[in-house]
Amino acid sequence: MAANKSQGSYFGLFLAGSTVLCAGIAYFEGGTGKALLALGAIAVVGSLFGFMGIKPLEGKTALKPGPEGMKLVGAAVAALGWVLTLTGIHLTASTGGRIIFALLGIGVSLVGVIYILPAAFNKNAFWKGNSAATERASIAAAAKTTMEHSR
Amino acid sequence: MKTTLRNSCLSLCILALILGLGLTAHAQTPAAAAPATPAAAPPTPTLTPADTELKDAAGKAPATADLAKGDPGGTITGTISDVPAADSKVGVTLPDVANQVGQNKIAVNFVWTLVCGFLVMFMQAGFAMVEAGLCRVKNANHTYMMNFFVYTCGLFAYWILGFAIQMGGAAGNSNLGGLQPLASEHAITLFGKTWGLFGQSGYFLAGHTYDVGVMVIFLFEMVFMDTALTIVTGACAERWKFITFAVTSVIMGALTYPIYGNWAWGAGWLSQLGTNVGLGKGYCDFAGSGVVHAVGGLTALAVCMIVGPRIGKFNRDGSSNPIIGHDVSAVLIGCFILAFGWFGFNPGSTLGASANGNLRIGTIAVATMLAGCTGTLGAIIYMWALKGKPDASMSGNGLLAGLVAITAPSGFVSATNACIIGLVAGVLVCVSCAFVENFMKVDDPVGAISVHGTNGLWGVLSVGLFADGTSNYGGSWNGVTGSVTGLFYGDASQLAAQLIGISTLIGFVFTFSFVINLALEFFIGHRVSVETEVAGLDIPEMGQLGYPEFVFRPEPVMTGA
Repeated sequence: MAANKSQGSYFGLFLAGSTVLCAGIAYFEGGTGKALLALGAIAVVGSLFGFMGIKPLEGKTALKPGPEGMKLVGAAVAALGWVLTLTGIHLTASTGGRIIFALLGIGVSLVGVIYILPAAFNKNAFWKGNSAATERASIAAAAKTTMEHSR
Repeated sequence: MKTTLRNSCLSLCILALILGLGLTAHAQTPAAAAPATPAAAPPTPTLTPADTELKDAAGKAPATADLAKGDPGGTITGTISDVPAADSKVGVTLPDVANQVGQNKIAVNFVWTLVCGFLVMFMQAGFAMVEAGLCRVKNANHTYMMNFFVYTCGLFAYWILGFAIQMGGAAGNSNLGGLQPLASEHAITLFGKTWGLFGQSGYFLAGHTYDVGVMVIFLFEMVFMDTALTIVTGACAERWKFITFAVTSVIMGALTYPIYGNWAWGAGWLSQLGTNVGLGKGYCDFAGSGVVHAVGGLTALAVCMIVGPRIGKFNRDGSSNPIIGHDVSAVLIGCFILAFGWFGFNPGSTLGASANGNLRIGTIAVATMLAGCTGTLGAIIYMWALKGKPDASMSGNGLLAGLVAITAPSGFVSATNACIIGLVAGVLVCVSCAFVENFMKVDDPVGAISVHGTNGLWGVLSVGLFADGTSNYGGSWNGVTGSVTGLFYGDASQLAAQLIGISTLIGFVFTFSFVINLALEFFIGHRVSVETEVAGLDIPEMGQLGYPEFVFRPEPVMTGA
């Protein structure tokens, strides 16, 4: 199952919820605003759980579970670099010092983005997997389907 | 008979009386006014010499009869007769002329900004052609539809929330009449300085933001935002679920892009680095190498990592296979459309053509052209010399890389420096594409991460290096007096501000996008099923083929040994 009616319905709910939520933000000062905010948030969260409910019906993807903790570490290291740069603005008043802090921060962030995250995602990447034969079979079947579609 | 005659006479009398009274009343109007004339007439205004000259000019203005004969040379159309007078009895006065001059300035700037915004909007067509052309034919409809629908998703999200966050505190732009309704920036005080975080006015463009100037800046900023969003669709093409793409685009248009946009352009803390801590003129990003392209490119990288490479892209040993796009002509025509739209992107970012140094628009346009030219040269020569062929898709990417890189510095650099920036970008995009694919193992079908991400960062950096201090947009930038000047022209502190911007892009924008999309992976899932991916996304996701009369060949299976 690919795109389907449930997706469309939940997307409609997501948009409607987002609109009401934003109206709540816009008029937050009043009681109506707070009520709209709560209503919108419920609709958005409801749509997300709706998406989650139909997710298993949409078929098996090529992706394999990876080390989730390592992904979060990668993101944290990327954010840490930014914090380092911000700290540098206040730790030193010299331009040279701030440039060094900024370069350090960029370097740390790049470690997270270029090294840790790709390593996390590629650790169990499907293209490295041992179940290629199974995948080949399903792919060949799907390719056949493609041909039939095209005719 | 007698009665009838009497009634007729009576009717005639009444009619005569009514007519008589009416005529009398009509005739008496001037007579009634006449006695009051000496006392009630407005005092004759004291005419200044300028007013007298204006009256003379009005007297010499071409008569209606002259205009009726036609004006093939355009010499008598548009004179003092076309200046509206506040008091028609007095005629055109000096204040009337001054008001008209002011309105003309704003009108010129409105038209300039709107037309440039229209050009940027047309870039969506270019993006669609480039991205779809670089994808396989079985995914053409899906890729075109993403580029089509991203406009709607982004615009809607920006209208309900994004614009308020980005520009809600951006009042004070005299080019567009001051934009005073946008004067609500949420700020915090840290170390004795006030730092802007996000805007708070302009939700739904309602209330006091129902304003002519606000509408102009909304249109212009919205099409910029949409450009950032559409970058992601190319990088994740051929395996991205349409529903997840749609939800991501709404979130990006409402939050990711506007937050950084506020920090750089909407009176946020990056723009205050100059006034608060003396770093140059604050973070300077003239037209959005960072705000638009790096935000789009880094978000593309985050989503690309999560969505994973296409089946068949990498072999078991980690080597990669080229997956050729289906239409190189669409790619190259799309690139030209984008280059055309860039003349709205960069020169339009002055937000005006009249006053405040805005005559620099010609310089900006030429810098844009030249950087695109040298970007193409850099990429073609690099590929030709190293790989033996002037690769078409990389040539297109070289053009775009040059344009992306010049976007931030276009308002501050000379033509020569624009050439250097573009040339570096053209080579950089080739190197970066290879790095992203071979080292990071990230599959980017169109090279968007390198074109927009890498070169967006290079563009931001190049402001801190090449800005030559000759631009003068009203005498100050980001509230700091003087012109933007980079390291090579004597101001190292501008480089520091730019580096802080780059760090924010990688450290904040990337991480924010990554976390948001990781959450969406949990709730919705980014990737289509294996069957859908191999079959092509057109039928399963969109319900119809982009090219229904094409006959597909079965694809070789390349997933491992």
